[in-house]
Amino acid sequence: MPETTPTADANDVALRSAIDRSLRHPVMFFFTSGAVWLAVAAVLGLITSAKKHMPEFLEGVSFLDAGKIDAAHINALIYGWGFQAAFGVIIWLMARLSRKECSSPGLILTAGHVWNGAVMIGVIAILMGRGTGVPWMEFPTFVWPVLLLSYIVITIWSLIQFQVRDAGHVYVSQWYLLAAMLWFPWIYFTANVFVFSFEGNPLMAAGIASWFKGTLFLLFFLPVAIASAYFLAPKITGRPVYSYNIALFGFWSLAVIGPWAGMQKLTGAPIPQFLPYAGAAAMVLILIPAFAVSWNILKTVAGHGETVSASPSLRFTAAGIIGFLVFAALSAVTHLFGFKLIQFSYTGYGFDVLGLYGVFSLCAFGAIYFIVPRVTRREWLSRRFITWHFYLSLYGTISVTLCAIVGGLSQGEGIEAWNQSFLAGAGRAQMYGWGVTFSWGFLLLSNLFFGLHLLLMWARLGRRSSHPTLLTGHHTDSPHGPEGEVDNYGSATA
Amino acid sequence: MKFKAFILGLLVSFGLPWLLAIVAPFAAMRNLEPVSYAGIDIDGAEGVYLPKRSGRIAEGSAIYGAEGCYYCHTQLIRPTYAGSDLWRPDWAGLKKTADHPDTRRETLASDYQGEKVAPIGVMRVGHDLSNLGRRLEYNLKGTSLTPEEWLYLHLYNPRDTEPYRIGSQDIKENSACPSKRGLFREVPKNLAGAEALHVDAPAGLAIVPTDRARALVSYLISLKKDTMDQPIPQSLNFNPASPVAQ
Amino acid sequence: MDHNRDNPLRRFSAFWIALLLVGCFGIACIIIRPVTHARVESAYEMISEERLETKAEIEKAQAAALDPEKLEVSREASVVTLNQTPTAGAMPLPGAPTN
Repeated sequence: MPETTPTADANDVALRSAIDRSLRHPVMFFFTSGAVWLAVAAVLGLITSAKKHMPEFLEGVSFLDAGKIDAAHINALIYGWGFQAAFGVIIWLMARLSRKECSSPGLILTAGHVWNGAVMIGVIAILMGRGTGVPWMEFPTFVWPVLLLSYIVITIWSLIQFQVRDAGHVYVSQWYLLAAMLWFPWIYFTANVFVFSFEGNPLMAAGIASWFKGTLFLLFFLPVAIASAYFLAPKITGRPVYSYNIALFGFWSLAVIGPWAGMQKLTGAPIPQFLPYAGAAAMVLILIPAFAVSWNILKTVAGHGETVSASPSLRFTAAGIIGFLVFAALSAVTHLFGFKLIQFSYTGYGFDVLGLYGVFSLCAFGAIYFIVPRVTRREWLSRRFITWHFYLSLYGTISVTLCAIVGGLSQGEGIEAWNQSFLAGAGRAQMYGWGVTFSWGFLLLSNLFFGLHLLLMWARLGRRSSHPTLLTGHHTDSPHGPEGEVDNYGSATA
Repeated sequence: MKFKAFILGLLVSFGLPWLLAIVAPFAAMRNLEPVSYAGIDIDGAEGVYLPKRSGRIAEGSAIYGAEGCYYCHTQLIRPTYAGSDLWRPDWAGLKKTADHPDTRRETLASDYQGEKVAPIGVMRVGHDLSNLGRRLEYNLKGTSLTPEEWLYLHLYNPRDTEPYRIGSQDIKENSACPSKRGLFREVPKNLAGAEALHVDAPAGLAIVPTDRARALVSYLISLKKDTMDQPIPQSLNFNPASPVAQ
Repeated sequence: MDHNRDNPLRRFSAFWIALLLVGCFGIACIIIRPVTHARVESAYEMISEERLETKAEIEKAQAAALDPEKLEVSREASVVTLNQTPTAGAMPLPGAPTN
């Protein structure tokens, strides 16, 4: 198998499969329920986007009103899909890297169900008109303590596993996982308490909510994606990480730059001026960790183009890392030049989707395609499903980037032209709105393939084989060997 | 990298922005000094600038948030270095005419008083709403519609512009604003009274706003960019009067 | 493999250290609350000072002008009026006992 080095210890193999076995139920639960939420979020995203250029779409259904459905869509994407995919990756990866079996899979599974229940109640509450009205924090205020508590029950075992690991090398991925596991409760508690519990100026409440929006991606989803990439790239190619020093630099640059991001959304608001400037600076300087991480990862897999192309995990991961580079480059350009154009346009939404899907989700898919066979002891059933999942996700992400991020520039330009009718700018937005709707169509289709494939694996219908499902070879080449004639009864021995 | 060094590094790299960007500005912004007229002003007004909003602000703001209006509308007039909002007609206030002085100004912290979280907004699919109340009042003067009625009609069905279009008003025929039918209910016609909307309703019934709609509309009417009958301090005036020669 | 680091005591302490690290900024928020919630005198309160003084003056004057004895006299008088036995009036009154 490509993942074991030639000198692998038999005990090590046994330990690894024991770890995988201990984590089977929580990990599969998180991935499958995450995939369902992703499909839900994609449907909601389709409706949301459609309503912006076809307002009569589903007009009579009051609980799917525009506005409420925007909130439901983004919250389902983040808390339903994003977090559960992250949980699956975190608990498996930390267990494997610390070489410790999971001691409380039942507790984690229970907390996972509580998480799901809370998210479902939250999304339904939003659609019923009980949202809080704060972007990315729209769940009614009784939900966040439940989510935070479930989060702690899910991830604390990974923090313990790290501390009781055998002395020795600490992997780069482990720093990123550790940091992500600590950063999220810090930003979540701070944001919710300052916005909903503390009494202060409404502008600062809006500012802190914006800060949460920015740091949630940079300090939770991004580190988890990077951790997965730093694990899969060396593992699958069989080569060590290109440079430990660059990895160190990349991590600390993210740690120093990330926490300042978010308040650039309030440029021009009567808050202390250094706040939006610091936010914008962080969104420009994010290029530094982006260059460091992508240089390191891409150099690690350099020269192994065939492996990257053949392995589903590596293909998705490489796409995610390139997505991170694109995200950082576009972020730097739009925050340096012409921010006033894009501040209130589709561009913000485009960045949200590029980050959550084009960076995090692609890396998470890479991890899922690696983890699920090991945890279910079955191989993926269909190369074709994986390939379609990949290309449709790619098309969707690229078209969202073009239509929302670039289209938002055109929309913003139209709106900023103050001596023209507002409708001129708004009209441009409609055109790009169609593009965003089509993007969600692609993403929904890609995730139907993914969800179906994952459900079949969850149902233990995967291939029993020691040959991994790779994306190469002619379609008549099977990993099991040459195919026989259809009516070839005689070839029992292949 | 040792675990202790790692944790320390994380605490410092996160704690510093937490203190400087979250806690300190939050504490300081609770304590904003109001703009005083003394010394800076020319019109001889006294005391401090303290506009008061009237209407169901807290409730209406919560409903505005719950209905998700902030995904398509903003409420932020940015200073000129950050955007051209101040010049767009009626967004930042009213331009000077024979009836009134120039009341245009940037958004101030006091504009959000009474609300829990400032609904800055995500995207401008629709207009900025900072001056909606004054805009409606001014444009509907002399017509048969009050701002409340206009808003009820718009919320019920933005695309049915016939009941609420005024003259050659620049309204988008295919407005992307959602029909918030959930904010209205049907009652028997003879019980509807003056609140009945002038729209097509099933036989014998009339459409009236629910209390939620009334709170929302009350809040929207309170969105006024000008000074609410208080003299505007020159320091906040977009078009300050030239200083009087000493 | 070195198993010295994985024992129940270490796991126990690791649990509490992890909980502390996760909650440290939450605790910080709580500690910092008094700083962020210092008493603030709002502009509205400043402007109200004069009005509240006037109000206090008026209330004092009204309280001083209130003569409890005179009040009692008029109260007694109205009680007397109310306690009279009803007699028939000029017009018939439906339900009255002296109809």
